[in-house]
Amino acid sequence: MAESFFLLAATFIPLLLAPVAYFVGKKSGAGTVTWFSFGVLAVSTGLLALPALALQGGMSAYVESYQWSQFGNFGLRLDGLSLPFAMIIYILCTVLAIYSKPYMIHKIMEDMPGASRHENPGHGGQVTLTADQQSYVNHHMGLYFALYLAFSMGMFGTVLATNVIEFYVFFELMLVPSFFLVAFYGYGARRRIALMFFFWTHVGAVVLLLSLLTMGFFAGGFDFDTIRANAHLIPQEWLALIIFGLVAGLGVKLAAFLLHIWLPYAHAEAPTPVSALLSPAMIGIGAYGLLRLWLELLTGSYEQYSLYINMWGLATIIYGGAMALMQDDIKKVLAYSSISQMGYILFGLGSESVLGITGATMLYVTHGLGKAVLFMMAGSIILQTGTRSMSKLGGLAGKMPYTAVIAMIGALTIMGVPPTSGFMAEWTMFNGVLQTAANDGDWFRSAMFGFGIMGTILTSAYILWMIKRIFFGKIPEEMAHVKEASPYVTATMAAFAALSLIIGVYPDLFLAPVSDYVQGMFADYPGVLPIPEGSGLIEPAEGSSVGLEEGLSVGAEAGGNH
Amino acid sequence: MVTEFFDAINVWLIWILPFAGAAIIPAIAKGSKSARNYIAVGFALASAASAATLIPTALAGHEVHSQVSWISALDLKAGVLADPLAIIMTNLVAWISFLIMVYSLGYMHGDRDLTRYWFFMLFFIGSMQLIVISDNLLMVFFGWEGVGLASYALIGFWYHDRKKDYVGVEGHRAGGIAMWTAPTHAGMKAFLMTKAGDVMMLAGMFLIFAYAGTFGFKELLADQGWAQAMAAENLLVPAAVLLFGGAVGKSAQFPLNEWLLEAMTGPTSVSALIHAATMVKAGVFLVARIGPLFFALSALNTGQFFEVVAWTGAITAFLLATQALVSPEIKKVLAYSTGSQIGYMMMALGIAGISLNYVDGYTAGFFHLMSHAMFKASLFMGAGAVLHTVHSRFMTDMGGLKKYMPKTYMFMLLAALSLAGAPLFTSGFWSKDAIFAAVLESGYSQAMPLFIMAVVVAVMTAFYTFRMIGMTFFGGKSKHVEKIEHEGHHVHEVGAVMWVPFGILAVATIIVGVSGFLFEEQLHHLFEEYLGESFGIHEAAPATERVFLNLNPVAAAASFGAFGVGAALGYVFYIARKADPAAIGRNIVTRGIWTFLYNRWYLNTALYWGGVIGPMAIYRFIWRYFESTIIDGINPAFQGAMTYMSRWVKGSQTGITQTYLFVFGAGILIVVMLLLL
Repeated sequence: MAESFFLLAATFIPLLLAPVAYFVGKKSGAGTVTWFSFGVLAVSTGLLALPALALQGGMSAYVESYQWSQFGNFGLRLDGLSLPFAMIIYILCTVLAIYSKPYMIHKIMEDMPGASRHENPGHGGQVTLTADQQSYVNHHMGLYFALYLAFSMGMFGTVLATNVIEFYVFFELMLVPSFFLVAFYGYGARRRIALMFFFWTHVGAVVLLLSLLTMGFFAGGFDFDTIRANAHLIPQEWLALIIFGLVAGLGVKLAAFLLHIWLPYAHAEAPTPVSALLSPAMIGIGAYGLLRLWLELLTGSYEQYSLYINMWGLATIIYGGAMALMQDDIKKVLAYSSISQMGYILFGLGSESVLGITGATMLYVTHGLGKAVLFMMAGSIILQTGTRSMSKLGGLAGKMPYTAVIAMIGALTIMGVPPTSGFMAEWTMFNGVLQTAANDGDWFRSAMFGFGIMGTILTSAYILWMIKRIFFGKIPEEMAHVKEASPYVTATMAAFAALSLIIGVYPDLFLAPVSDYVQGMFADYPGVLPIPEGSGLIEPAEGSSVGLEEGLSVGAEAGGNH
Repeated sequence: MVTEFFDAINVWLIWILPFAGAAIIPAIAKGSKSARNYIAVGFALASAASAATLIPTALAGHEVHSQVSWISALDLKAGVLADPLAIIMTNLVAWISFLIMVYSLGYMHGDRDLTRYWFFMLFFIGSMQLIVISDNLLMVFFGWEGVGLASYALIGFWYHDRKKDYVGVEGHRAGGIAMWTAPTHAGMKAFLMTKAGDVMMLAGMFLIFAYAGTFGFKELLADQGWAQAMAAENLLVPAAVLLFGGAVGKSAQFPLNEWLLEAMTGPTSVSALIHAATMVKAGVFLVARIGPLFFALSALNTGQFFEVVAWTGAITAFLLATQALVSPEIKKVLAYSTGSQIGYMMMALGIAGISLNYVDGYTAGFFHLMSHAMFKASLFMGAGAVLHTVHSRFMTDMGGLKKYMPKTYMFMLLAALSLAGAPLFTSGFWSKDAIFAAVLESGYSQAMPLFIMAVVVAVMTAFYTFRMIGMTFFGGKSKHVEKIEHEGHHVHEVGAVMWVPFGILAVATIIVGVSGFLFEEQLHHLFEEYLGESFGIHEAAPATERVFLNLNPVAAAASFGAFGVGAALGYVFYIARKADPAAIGRNIVTRGIWTFLYNRWYLNTALYWGGVIGPMAIYRFIWRYFESTIIDGINPAFQGAMTYMSRWVKGSQTGITQTYLFVFGAGILIVVMLLLL
């Protein structure tokens, strides 16, 4: 039994207060429910931060565990692996709640029955409404935030779960609210697209469940600890099937190459704050699943299949990037970009080195921040100009300077340019891949590394081209009076951009716990290469002047240097 | 000795100050516009002053190395390393940048987006200083991408893509590719092409890290076990060449040279910064930084690396010099010339590693870097003054400006003479001569071809330099000048805030030139000590017999001759105007050569077909026939299959009682028969 309830509270407060949020919205209006939801999520994030600080202090894992059912214990576990995921999910959810206000009011009013189309977008909330219209907006804002809170909790619970059944329950719990969010508040053929999104990810989840159950039956329990301890009991022929199920099921969530059918539609047509959660936060949970359920629980089988994951990642990187170049819709570019970025994560997961796997985890963090900024930029453009087709945009940098600057930081994060967090993630990830290739003397892995790192040029190309088409060039005549978005939009974007820069310069915040944990995970598996260790500077002995010469074979004269 | 942060605060401030300035510029701009301008220049000056405090350290042959903890998870430290190499470079960068910042006060006066301009100029300087002063490759890479980002932003500074900000002749196509470019396009091109180099550099860094577990220059030198392990796997030279790939991209060497010409879309002050002090010099500096390390490892056969460097430099020097001969735009002539001169530097740094006297080639390459930084910054700023006055980038729109802009003329002429290598009194002569001598004395088996290439390039350099001066300042006024005078513009000299900075640099290049051999000797002495003490590199053999002023006779003769031939030709065609260059167009052979050069050897064409249009066509094919057809077809196909199946099942639900009874009866019959069997 746990003595403290931080994580339990952090997980369930949003769920319990979701119905309350609905009534708050209905009674008191959009502003109140926004800040209510923000408050709920901020408190939960704070509750998460307390044990997270303990982890920073050197604690290896913080676990809360409760008696549950014949499936085992219901636990919530914060360790080096779940920390970055949990942290990013809640930070994104909290800040995006504020961003949701202007965006969702605008969106709901656009969809209001009998509403005339906005003549002058960009003034969401400023138009005078009749009482009926007001209550319509309030009702929907309440509903939106109720679903939003439930969605947040589902994602959060998934990454803290300590039991495969619990994992599955949360995994599905996050799907249901997101389905409704797309179906109610999306664009285009939103019901159809929501159904497709639900269908594919649910099929993936069921395939995953089969694997999880099989694992549990052979290992004699469904708790992670039990399975990890008894992984050797799983027969070889079943193991292959289990891994296939895990990878395929989670691959759908990740939208890896060939399983990405649903993603471009769902991400492009979801309301933008939800896109900014779906893409950076939700699909990356697939990567978390692979790390936790496969790499950690069935570590022994990892090396056997790592190369295939690596290859699949490469295909996803290139394919997503290439397709992103073909798009005219901003949100579709970003959707394909997410596919490509998930490719990077897979690429790192298949690297067979601690550095690479650490980098892949960091990529989740960095993609979360960078892609959220870019989706928010897309939302800001939609709010202010009423279109998201890049052929109709251009030259907006002068009109929307804050959006442009912050979007550029987001773009750099995705491109992996220092000093954003993107670089820290990408270099560790690619370095891990090359380390394995060089260590094994494997030309195939070397070639894969080459193509993979050249994929970053492709990433830069589609991102820069997108920025160019939105913000540079001539301003179309009808955009002459576009204004900067409200502080609700720009300030929240700026928060993520700032975080990206902070992690980029001081990556230890996430890098240290992750690398320690991954190092520990593979401690007994020498095939997975550890982080290379430097010999460091040879400190000069007392009295001698310079230390460098000691290592030199060529004639070196000591003295005179200092 | 590793010093504490605060003991080496002057070193840290060199790169921190420009970044700090960039960070506060937007805030200051909210208050006062003019305060913003002066504070930006002030931060550049403060950084330069901080760099200057290190000069005594360099002259004494000492160094400052300071580290702080950074990424504890990977056991990486952040640090600065001010050794003589870095100190000379950081001062060069800081002071030239400062002069360019001053010049910007005049050149950019009245631009609406000055806040952005100052931000990125300071960011640019800070990033460059980070490259120069860092003690490890990872931080160098931070600066490396920083200059890439700043150049992207500044090349595309005029992001509205107005026609007057383009570069290239409108309507000029080569092999179906437009050869005139918008600023934002040029910025993107620069970023992506240098990214290709950066990727190689990263790969090189990663290889070294995988074996050494560190990025620190000092650490890499201290324990060379990594190098032995890599050499055993035949990875040492590839890693070095990959690192050099980064330099190829940043310094616009063949085959990644094409971005440099379009980079001319930025404001001229930016071009001056890119070409003289930052960006393209970063590549040369990197080679100067890692060169001694790999030379110290020459027991492990690192010679091939230096051969690659030398030949890349020679090819680039030749390639771009030929293209400079025919360019009609003044800034592009200077851009070609930069690439070409950097080729010289690479050649020198490369040949150093193959020869017995590493210090000679090293000094020559670095001396040329210094003298080029001075005269090229001066030339660019002078060209900017001309552009500012005549509002055209084409030299055919200039002509006869000598008497209208006497100061600009005089200073540009001095700097141009230095670029052309006018004997004995220009820094360009001495540094180029040092390179010739280093090549000749290297003892490298292929030294002769390299030497001949270098001399041919020198001839072309003198020619295109005189061509540029002649077309701009001599002859009669062009139609364009007459037209703008007619419109009421007064063609006149630029203000002191503009001519003083490039005047200072032009005079400096002459001062260094007049004392050339002494200066070179001092530099040689400094590097000899530095390389000896830090890397254990010593002169292996006494230098070859030198005569008058420590010159190598063959090299000196070649320098004199190359300048004489090139300058004479340029004089006849463009200054005295005794012969008409239009004659080229009348002969089919010369015209063919002219077209080939004018179309930039069709390299740009190949780049676009192979790197942009080709891949895009493939992607479009995949998009249309795979993603949009097959992948997107899966959902409708499912739906169709379900509908079909439901129709099939529905067909049995006829609603006719007789049918149901009949089927029911048949079923009973079958069951009974099964039971009986």
